[in-house]
Amino acid sequence: MGAAGSKLEKALGDQFPEGERYFGLENFGNTCYCNSVLQALYFCVPFREQLLDYYANNKSIGDVEENLLTCLADLFSQISSQKKKTGVIAPKRFVQRLKKQNELFRSYMHQDAHEFLNFLLNELVDILEKEAQVVKSDPETSSPSDKIANGPKNAQANGALKEPLVTWVHKNFQGILTNETRCLRCETVTARDETFFDLSLDIEQNSSITSCLKNFSSTETLNAEDKFFCDKCCSLQEAQKRMKIKKPPHILVIHLKRFKYIEQLGRYKKLSYRVVFPLELKLSNTMEDADSEYSLFAVVVHVGSGPNHGHYVSLVKSHNHWLFFDDENVEMIDESAVQTFFGSAQEYSSNTDHGYILFYECLGSTSNKS
Amino acid sequence: MIHSNGNNGYGNGVMTSASPTTTSLSPSSASANGQSTQQQQGLKTYFKTPEGRYKLHSEKTHPPGILPYSHGKSVSQITLAHLKEKPTQAGSASSSGASTSSGVRYAAARLLGVGGGNGSRALSFVGGNGTSKAANGTSRSSSLAASNGSHSMLNSNYDGKGTYMIFNVGDSLFVSDLNTQDKDPIKSLHFSTSNPICHSFDPEAKDGHDLLIGLNSGDVYSVSLRQQLQDVGKKLVGAQHYNKEGSVTNRQDYRCTSVAWVPKADGAFVVAHADGNLYVYEKSKDGTGDTTFPVVKDQNQFSVAHARSSKSNPIARWHICQSSINGIAFSTDGAYLATVGRDGYLRVFDYQKEQLICGGKSYYGALLCCAWSMDGKYILTGGEDDLVTVWSMEDRKVVAWGEGHNSWVSGVAFDSYWSSPTSDGTEESVMYRFGSVGQDTQLLLWDLSMDEIVVPLRRCPPGGSPTFSTGSQSSHWDSICPVGTLQPAPSMRDVPKLSPLVAHRVHSEPLSGLIFTEESILTACREGYVKIWVRPSNSESQSSNPEIPVGNSSKEIPPVPGKTGASSYKSVHL
Repeated sequence: MGAAGSKLEKALGDQFPEGERYFGLENFGNTCYCNSVLQALYFCVPFREQLLDYYANNKSIGDVEENLLTCLADLFSQISSQKKKTGVIAPKRFVQRLKKQNELFRSYMHQDAHEFLNFLLNELVDILEKEAQVVKSDPETSSPSDKIANGPKNAQANGALKEPLVTWVHKNFQGILTNETRCLRCETVTARDETFFDLSLDIEQNSSITSCLKNFSSTETLNAEDKFFCDKCCSLQEAQKRMKIKKPPHILVIHLKRFKYIEQLGRYKKLSYRVVFPLELKLSNTMEDADSEYSLFAVVVHVGSGPNHGHYVSLVKSHNHWLFFDDENVEMIDESAVQTFFGSAQEYSSNTDHGYILFYECLGSTSNKS
Repeated sequence: MIHSNGNNGYGNGVMTSASPTTTSLSPSSASANGQSTQQQQGLKTYFKTPEGRYKLHSEKTHPPGILPYSHGKSVSQITLAHLKEKPTQAGSASSSGASTSSGVRYAAARLLGVGGGNGSRALSFVGGNGTSKAANGTSRSSSLAASNGSHSMLNSNYDGKGTYMIFNVGDSLFVSDLNTQDKDPIKSLHFSTSNPICHSFDPEAKDGHDLLIGLNSGDVYSVSLRQQLQDVGKKLVGAQHYNKEGSVTNRQDYRCTSVAWVPKADGAFVVAHADGNLYVYEKSKDGTGDTTFPVVKDQNQFSVAHARSSKSNPIARWHICQSSINGIAFSTDGAYLATVGRDGYLRVFDYQKEQLICGGKSYYGALLCCAWSMDGKYILTGGEDDLVTVWSMEDRKVVAWGEGHNSWVSGVAFDSYWSSPTSDGTEESVMYRFGSVGQDTQLLLWDLSMDEIVVPLRRCPPGGSPTFSTGSQSSHWDSICPVGTLQPAPSMRDVPKLSPLVAHRVHSEPLSGLIFTEESILTACREGYVKIWVRPSNSESQSSNPEIPVGNSSKEIPPVPGKTGASSYKSVHL
């Protein structure tokens, strides 16, 4: 593994980015779902920086109880402070904590990388919110001017938490969807906002992410068994529903629904569909006019033909180089190799490496700078 | 590991699903042929347009049972070539070429003068990773020789006439006769070290060499197509080799992405590479001189370097951009060269002056293909934003976006044989017909009407407001674009949208190219499967005749819509 590290260093040569570390993560038996997502999050630079900031702030407090947030911060800081530029790290404490926290991840069964990402982000938010409340009850540390909770020190105080707390995790990943429902009888439009950390998209064979996003926002008619309760009509009515992105997130996480429950089979099936994803993307189904551009920086790839077994790897773009992370191994790859993870145009194919979670970062936006 | 997966995934699907039907087909019954293949794939053998039905006439692919070996993933592309008559003396390539009359060039230009103007169409999605497995070449070529015995017979009877289609699959280049219903190619050429990626045919070739082949390794060959057809072997004969083993290109990613003969330039050609450089060659030159070029000073700037020695071939290097050039196309008159690339930019150059004229960015993502209208007024581009973009040379701006593909747009072309059914020279009927194919496996046809596009785009009479824009904030239409500048991506609301006239799922695999001929539309998928769709004929009884020759060249030259459109186009917006 040391040799593999030096190979990567050789491949990058004098282009090795200053201060950057490329470390593989040890697999503790089916923990590739965790490793692949951790690599994607580590190379989500604003997230990493803010986590390390939080860690630095938190250290001064000292005796914070161990939780997933501290374990993650610990791991990231461990990677970033390595003397060597490449190598392997064992995310032991983090994985132990994860298994302690959630029985779902306790077994050695194959786990879903998207479920893990979702659990992790929500857990981080919970921890930050709890910390903020503790701080709130302690008036001496309050700093009412700062609305961003970056560590317990500068959480929103002043009691009235009318609006939900916006943590730095929110600032990075949270977007807002508007669910518009128009009653076909009285024409009243009911709009309801919901927040999201990622978009889960239905996929079709030989389509693009652009097309999947378009379908996500397309108008759907609610009828028959699935009518809408209109408050104005006070009854179930046929209605038209559509989802629009009201506030696009800074980090856009797109989850491809490759695991589909097939009723006839009574089990999940993996869809190996070819879904192309561009390296740059714009959201045209937003309420705002700004066509902000996103750039792909990480892909979590599911390897395997079925949903209950297989492997996860990740592709990461760091300082304009693409890297391939497979547990302990890190390799440099060509940008054009990303296309080999689109999926298969035919159902039965020996190519089983399929892009599963895509991470895009908004370019030219500074919303995450706190 | 990644690479091997890419390789393994190559082509398995199509070949396994296509070969059982292939063997059971009788080549003479095209319609039955099409249906039996299509039913299992749920694909129709016709599609309707306002002018009538386009019907599946025949299909072409590589020989069944032979899976061309692939040095990494490569995408099939198609090139049309027209050869008119048997050479007076069989033999050397140069004499056969010299004997072709000007009539050949005329007819061939007519067949090929669509879209790219040279019959070549470049697609970007050549994912050549440059991997090289140890080839088991010996065993394969021996089996080939056995199974292709009938083809060598064909070759000896070859009369030198006809319309041919050249396409690449894996490590092979195939030539099919478009005038027969035969599904199998009449010629296959194997490349032992690298995949052929792109090709171009020169209908005006003065001496024998009329076919260019660009390889994944960066190597380029020029050959005489006629000479290849006369030969029974599996290797190129009488080829001239350029950029041998990357002697010119030496950067990491030097694979050829697109080749094109320069129209009316007597044997000059250009080769675009994945490293953002384009080289200009002259086929008459040996290239024994110094072939090195100075280091590009500013990677971000367009620059042209000429060879130090007059003996050198290539004679010039154009540094166009930092990332891959995915497609190139010359305007029909050869005055302009358009390039599209990974960086999402369309660039238009004055070829003689070696100057950037104009260009602009895609909505987002890479651009994959481009094509000119016959009159040189419009350029189509397609790319990773799923849009077909219409670029106006006069405005130096995007004037329309075609929305309708559900995936990346991999091939675009104007239909220069199409004329509006109501066309009588009046202004209202100025229209262009164009087509696009995408990775969504669909062929889309579009009508571009000048009334819809040009009028709203122009300013309304003083006091009026633009009819399409939501407000005056838009700078897309207000700004004047100076010559030599590249436009940023327009915003969604600034560009008028087009809807397709027809959307038809033509293949089961992502598509890679399309060509319009006088009689038909050719669609090709990435795996090397080509379908020929015959245009609707004036009377339905005629179209039921299965003996319609596809590459028939004995008809009059059709009216070019752009020509009749030229005067009325102006009057629309005056």
